[in-house]
Amino acid sequence: MSVIAPKFRLAYFLKAIIDNVFWIIILVALIGIPAIQIGLFYGDLPVIEGELLTAFLAFTWLFNPAMALPLVKSLIYSDLFRIAAFPGFGFAALIAAGTIFVERKMLAKLQLRVGPFYCGKIEGILQLAGDGLKLISKEIIIPAKADKPIFWVAPVLFVATAAAFVSLIPVAPGGWVVADLDVGLLAVFAVIGFFPIITVLSAWSANSKYPFIGGIRALHQMVSFEIPLILSLLGVVILTGTLNLSEIVESQSNFPWIIFMPIGAIVFFTAMLAELERIPFDLPEAESEIVAGWLTEFSGMMYGLVQLGSYVKLYAFAALFVVIFLGGWTGPVFWPPLDEQVITTGLEIPSYTGDPFLTISTPGLPLFDADPNEWILQKQGELQYTTGQLLISGVIWFVLKTVAVIFFILLPRGVFPRIRIDMLLHIGWYKLIGLSFVNIFIALGLLYTGILGPGGIL
Amino acid sequence: MSSTDSQTNTSKEDNKESSPKPAAEKPAPPKPAAEKPAPPKPEEALPAFEKELTDRIVNQFADDVEVGYVKENRTRINVKKEKILDVAKFIKDQTPFDHAESVSGVDFPEDKEIEVVYHLGSYTDNRYSKQILALSTRAPREEIPNPGNDSTKLPSLRDVFYSVEFHERECFEMFGVYFDGHPDNRRLLLPEDWADIPPLRKDFRNKGR
Amino acid sequence: MTEQIPTDHTEQLPPGLQLEKVDDRIMTLNVGPQHPGSGHMRIIVKIDGDYIVDADPDPGYVHRGEEKMAEVRNYLLNIPHLERPVIHDSCNILYPYVLGVEDIVGIEVPERAKYVRVIAAELNRCVYIQYWLAIYGIFLGHSTMFMWPAGDRELMIDLLEKMTGARVTHSYFIPGGVRNDIPANFEDVCLRQVNYFEKRIKEYADIFYDNPILKARTEDTGVLSSQDAIRLGTTGSVLRASGIDYDVRVKEPYDVYEELDVHTNVLKDGDSYARSKIPWLDMFESCNIIRQALEKMPKSGSVRTKLRPNPKGVGNNEVYKRVESGRGAAGMHIISNGKPEPYRVKISPGSFRNLIALPYLLKGEKLGNMPAVYWSLNYWPVEADR
Repeated sequence: MSVIAPKFRLAYFLKAIIDNVFWIIILVALIGIPAIQIGLFYGDLPVIEGELLTAFLAFTWLFNPAMALPLVKSLIYSDLFRIAAFPGFGFAALIAAGTIFVERKMLAKLQLRVGPFYCGKIEGILQLAGDGLKLISKEIIIPAKADKPIFWVAPVLFVATAAAFVSLIPVAPGGWVVADLDVGLLAVFAVIGFFPIITVLSAWSANSKYPFIGGIRALHQMVSFEIPLILSLLGVVILTGTLNLSEIVESQSNFPWIIFMPIGAIVFFTAMLAELERIPFDLPEAESEIVAGWLTEFSGMMYGLVQLGSYVKLYAFAALFVVIFLGGWTGPVFWPPLDEQVITTGLEIPSYTGDPFLTISTPGLPLFDADPNEWILQKQGELQYTTGQLLISGVIWFVLKTVAVIFFILLPRGVFPRIRIDMLLHIGWYKLIGLSFVNIFIALGLLYTGILGPGGIL
Repeated sequence: MSSTDSQTNTSKEDNKESSPKPAAEKPAPPKPAAEKPAPPKPEEALPAFEKELTDRIVNQFADDVEVGYVKENRTRINVKKEKILDVAKFIKDQTPFDHAESVSGVDFPEDKEIEVVYHLGSYTDNRYSKQILALSTRAPREEIPNPGNDSTKLPSLRDVFYSVEFHERECFEMFGVYFDGHPDNRRLLLPEDWADIPPLRKDFRNKGR
Repeated sequence: MTEQIPTDHTEQLPPGLQLEKVDDRIMTLNVGPQHPGSGHMRIIVKIDGDYIVDADPDPGYVHRGEEKMAEVRNYLLNIPHLERPVIHDSCNILYPYVLGVEDIVGIEVPERAKYVRVIAAELNRCVYIQYWLAIYGIFLGHSTMFMWPAGDRELMIDLLEKMTGARVTHSYFIPGGVRNDIPANFEDVCLRQVNYFEKRIKEYADIFYDNPILKARTEDTGVLSSQDAIRLGTTGSVLRASGIDYDVRVKEPYDVYEELDVHTNVLKDGDSYARSKIPWLDMFESCNIIRQALEKMPKSGSVRTKLRPNPKGVGNNEVYKRVESGRGAAGMHIISNGKPEPYRVKISPGSFRNLIALPYLLKGEKLGNMPAVYWSLNYWPVEADR
């Protein structure tokens, strides 16, 4: 038909794939294999336990649970793993990606649409990956008179700050947190304080009017809602007497604080919506007034980074809500501790004659092993890391609660229109701050009447 | 718009008109609708309510106005351009007409005149809510228009009927009728760099037509 | 509340040139034409902090010269392009032209055709209002209110497709009646879908019109008093939201509207909320009218008086016809000189007349109210530009 969009032809498509595969094989054969050979020729192969580590031996060890388990354990106990993967950024980014998908599908169902449908065959599950690829492949356009260094660094700083926020959230019992600080809550407030600065910097450096207005709006909004945000958490701090987030979670092993401080939870939730710039508080990005607010001049992956950062931030806030008001990872344990033999050698179940007739083994999933004394060690505080079922159960409870909170963060988008900046500031300065003081007085009353708190009845 | 631009354009138009093809298309001079009504129709056939309305205006401004037509719900008064402001003020003050529905410019190249028709309506009086009073006046037309700086000028009715503001701005850019006393005589629809004659004049020809 | 910055034009400039007075407090925003909150127009907004001190609408980005085009085509060929200014309400914008041409060429319309026209016009009004409402929803950041009307609009579009054969640009009305008869058993389908449609739009109250945030946001913003509404010559929903009981369908009934019971919705407040509510109430009224018209319509008969192939106007004649379109009174001033082509066609649509209220209402408003006030004026940029 037209030249601009040539017809799709399967033969060309297959040819392109075969071409790529051919060149990869050629390059590996001509460059990769000789490089390995030369390297082997000069370097010494490691000798472990008297055996030369050949490739065959390495694979054998890798697929033997008994051998691989210590390796994996040492990996997941390393700081890098915690920062990059599990309680840190990777975990948060995974939940953020899920959030985006759930948001789009849920909103679509609410609005009588189907939402992402084709990409990935099953309900558009790969739509996000496609969007990411698109964003990466797009050109990054920078305004001519922008302050380029600050403009470049702002999205990265945004993601980094969101990741710093994530690193303070304890996910599972036994120190599954990147930075277990004694002043964890203060550190959270400090990290939250960075967001308006980054927003205003990026908005100002774009040297454009709409980002400027959006940045000023974001500054007003975030600064005025930080105060009720901080005040609403003080009640919990008064009752627990600690700023350590892990200890705050452990203080809720019997009941979550939301039972005694619903007002604080409501204030925190509202302030959280404003900090996250979610509808109905998405004024800094109000598209019908100021195009896209402070995101107007971002393009390509810079925009993608800001979006990633904002969803990671969403997860972090939801997780903070769970940690402080909903009891974090506490919840019933799903199954009794498993025997270590199940994973390593296989559990032999003897018949009445004594001969083993059934062997149960689940190779793989090295995290399922359990120390029978884990409970006791955990209670005594001697266990540095929990693994096994305590970890799994804690993470599942934590994720379930977080997803529930995220759902309630997403829900107003389908129900409410956007409000105006003067109404927003009015809510922040008059209503929420007053309510959070009420919450503090409730907490003080509970403390001084001796019902809760250190040495309380409950 | 510079005068040279319009000079070249009109000369182009003249060339076109001299060639035989588009000449046939040229509209015949329509007689102003003014001369139509009274003679063919007998006096009694005129609707009474509308007749009474026009009579009030004619009685006030004896020679300066003439009745264009009196039909059911529609009346038309033709006014000299010097008197248009007075007649409009009279209509605004003495009759329930309170807003302008439309301001049409009509180009009459044969008469060398441009007619501006204000269609006035009434929201406040229930008896008049059907009525549309067409108040028309004529301005001289220049062969080589230079909008704003030539004799194609009319007094603006904006101070009398506020609602004509945008309509008069549109009439200015489309016909080159400058409205004296209009506070905001700028272009409304046309682009800033429009450098041709006002496009709704009859000598502006669509491409390919 | 807001301090108006006095602008003094002491220096005399040559005509056509403007010296912009630079003030450190004032920021000039070009809202449009490439802006998610403007449509095909530009509003030059000057803001002082969060307050708008000056707003200057600049339409014309979709000006197509419909009036000029109408002068070189004959009366029938004008029909398809004269409905283009507002394709979502194409029946209503074509209505005054068709009525005027019938007057000019002197042709009678069969009774059944008049009812069919009324049904099509009311269906099309619903289609337009749904589209308008969808955009009003998204302008206020309410994405559900964007999707629901856009989806429910399909009901009416399907009906119109059954009637006219086209989904949006119908070209259905012609001088002398309508282009083709409605299909068999259309009455049953129409009644069923209209009833369902009415049930659907009742739900908008729950999600949109009774929403406390929406009320807090749009009530008492952009208040247009009834005196100003008259003075500015506004029309349609803007006028009726300011407490003026004026509807062309009632005040000057055309076709068979005087045989139908048309109720005019009037609200007293004159704010953005009232202006946004009037079209929604009008949809219920349209459903009522459609039901009445279906009941009273002659069950059989001609829908079209045959016209000569190239009809000429009867002598020098001029008509000014107006109907109530989705945006207010749409008037057409048609001048004939006895030729097959009209000598002049002037369209005076409701959008263009309501536009004059925009700078008046925006001055002193907050910037956040701009989309709410702007779109509540029931303004369709393409129609205003023509």
